[in-house]
Amino acid sequence: MKKGNKLMRREGIAGLLFVTPQIVYFLLFFLLPLCICIYAAFTNWNILSVRHTLVGLRNFDKLFADPKFWKALKNTLYMLTPIPFYLLFALAFAYCCHKKILAEKAFRVVYYLPFISSIVSLVLIWKWLFNAQYGLVNNFLALFGIQGPNWLGDPVWTRRMIVLMISWKMIGIISIYYIAALKNVPISYYEAAQLDGASSWQQFRDITLPILTPTTFYLLVTGMIGSLQTFLEVQLFTPDGGRGYGVGTIVFYIWQKAFESSQMGYACACAGVFGLFIMLLTILQLTVSRKWVYEGE
Amino acid sequence: MKNRISRRNFLKAAGVLTAAAGLSACGSASSAQSTAASQAASTASSAASAAGEPVKISFMGWGTDDEIAAYKAMIAQFEKAYPTVTVDYIVVADNEFDTKLQTMIGAGECPDVFYCSIDKMMKYAATGNLYDLSDYVANNAIFDPDNVWTCLNDLYRFDGANQGKGDIYALPKDVSVFPIFYNVDLFKAAGITAPTEDAPWDWNDFLDAAKKLTSGDGDSKVYGTGAYSLESAVWSNGAEWVDAETLSKVEITDPAFTEALQWCADLHLVHGVAPSPDESTALSDYDRFKQGKLGMVGAGTWSLGDFTQNCKFEWDVMNWPVSPNTKKSEIWFGSAGLAVSATTKAAEAACNLAAYLAFNEDSQRTAYQMGQAIPMLKDMAYGEYSDSTNPPASKKVLFDILENNARLATQSRTFNQEWFAEFNSNTASVFDGEMTAVDYCASIKDTVQQLLDESIEQKAEYTGK
Repeated sequence: MKKGNKLMRREGIAGLLFVTPQIVYFLLFFLLPLCICIYAAFTNWNILSVRHTLVGLRNFDKLFADPKFWKALKNTLYMLTPIPFYLLFALAFAYCCHKKILAEKAFRVVYYLPFISSIVSLVLIWKWLFNAQYGLVNNFLALFGIQGPNWLGDPVWTRRMIVLMISWKMIGIISIYYIAALKNVPISYYEAAQLDGASSWQQFRDITLPILTPTTFYLLVTGMIGSLQTFLEVQLFTPDGGRGYGVGTIVFYIWQKAFESSQMGYACACAGVFGLFIMLLTILQLTVSRKWVYEGE
Repeated sequence: MKNRISRRNFLKAAGVLTAAAGLSACGSASSAQSTAASQAASTASSAASAAGEPVKISFMGWGTDDEIAAYKAMIAQFEKAYPTVTVDYIVVADNEFDTKLQTMIGAGECPDVFYCSIDKMMKYAATGNLYDLSDYVANNAIFDPDNVWTCLNDLYRFDGANQGKGDIYALPKDVSVFPIFYNVDLFKAAGITAPTEDAPWDWNDFLDAAKKLTSGDGDSKVYGTGAYSLESAVWSNGAEWVDAETLSKVEITDPAFTEALQWCADLHLVHGVAPSPDESTALSDYDRFKQGKLGMVGAGTWSLGDFTQNCKFEWDVMNWPVSPNTKKSEIWFGSAGLAVSATTKAAEAACNLAAYLAFNEDSQRTAYQMGQAIPMLKDMAYGEYSDSTNPPASKKVLFDILENNARLATQSRTFNQEWFAEFNSNTASVFDGEMTAVDYCASIKDTVQQLLDESIEQKAEYTGK
């Protein structure tokens, strides 16, 4: 008995030491900054000096009263709109790859490329592609007699262009998830269904889709969290958030307040509020998920 | 299980070491939270460096490729003149500069010398991040105030309440003039004579010239002018964004202001001599001018190098027209400064670098030869620069503007510029013709005033005044 306890204890200590670096990393780079951020949200800290005073809830009052914050929130929610579309498209593409309908490898490279490319280079190229007068996109539309819009000048169209860019980028990585998930569907299910006379479509609808729901759920949650944090595209396309702040997202607003206005305390308050918002959305998704996500045997 | 270290024990030791390393890194990171180190301490340590110990200082700036090359050349000259000092030159893209600088300040790693735009000088000075250069300037004959453009003197002074007086917190790194560049070939073809100092244009003369220069259609369209500088229009018309005495009252609804704004917008809306905002987004007025498709454009002397290399036509500069109502012409000038960090550990070397880059004759010479800027030293400007053969031909126009018409932009004199950004956030609606200038200014005045009030509050918070 004694020997067993000693062994277990030694193994326990070894295990603890294994995870210590990761715990230290988490504490230093996540928990500590989080605590500083929460503290700073109640101060008027300006990052340029350590001096600050506690100002209670003033930052929160200010942010709820600022029309720009609400505009930014609306723009941010708009960034969620492409999610169902690119999930669908990625699923279709993954399915075609799975069934070997397409030239799989070549297409996979082409679709994955945007995801691993530098956003700055992508934006530079897109700025020219979507140039209202000289861009390829508008000139292509002109071939069909369509007057292309002012993608970069009109905030409504800049938003749509950014959404297009996000979808285009994400399709690659999402298909990879789906391809992997499709490979995990036990073939025996399909065989059984075939024996019962199910058509391809019925097999897809009643076997593939339900088994894919955990993957879809995961992609929905991470896609939502990622899309809500859209920042770089906004900053690179519109240095000021677009005409009438029609393009600025919340993270862009936070960045402006933190570094252009040096109101770090206020920015921390915004970040805290927005973080809570994302957490609530995620919890909502988790609770609803019980209704439609397949839990497995 | 003999004497050799078992795998388990080895991994245990590795884990402990990593944890210890992590914790010690934590310790050193948290100790770098200091603010303004006492200047006495840094002077004491720099006295040691003056005694010949090798010293390393960091210098951070932004710039075009040409500017970076020019600065590398000047730094090499500096290192030759001060052999114990090595300079680590950090280049950052200009749109990321403020973020990076503020993050470095927050981490206690502010570069020893760095670009400081006039807009941000008060903020950095009030938070104790800029080294007070007054003593250095007093004790070192680095420049003769009479030999430097008047508008630059006192530019980087701040007394804790207002810009323009008090201690010196940065040295001017350059001065930029913002004249109208015009296409001489197009002028000759249309039979237009450019204005001179004795025979200046007013807005009507400008409009006539622009109409004569506008021609063509579609791809061969040539516009008479690009967007007109709103500062020139407003100030020349006797109006102000904010009252000049106290900088606290927004005055954008004054008739003189809205008249100026509407006149600028009408250049496109009514007279068709300037590109529409959409066209300017597609191809900037600046690029259109370089292609020879725009007759007159407001641009800064930082573009001299670019125009010299890329314009395939003869070009020159002219002063901004006077307003027919006031017969006055005013335009803004630009300047960025070189500041020394208050937390520098090598104050003497850092101040020497800032002074060298700012006023040293060789560095001034390199800058104008590369088309980066015009000299800050008047004798050099009127002397060898005027005699040099690189364009523009009418260099005297630039000096006239600096001596007689240039003033600091209003937003650079307030503590932060958010009120100005708010004003600009939808001027496009006036230039598109969606709203008249009067309506736009009336609709936005309250928000702008509120942001200006907040700027004043912020200053009070930072400076305690």
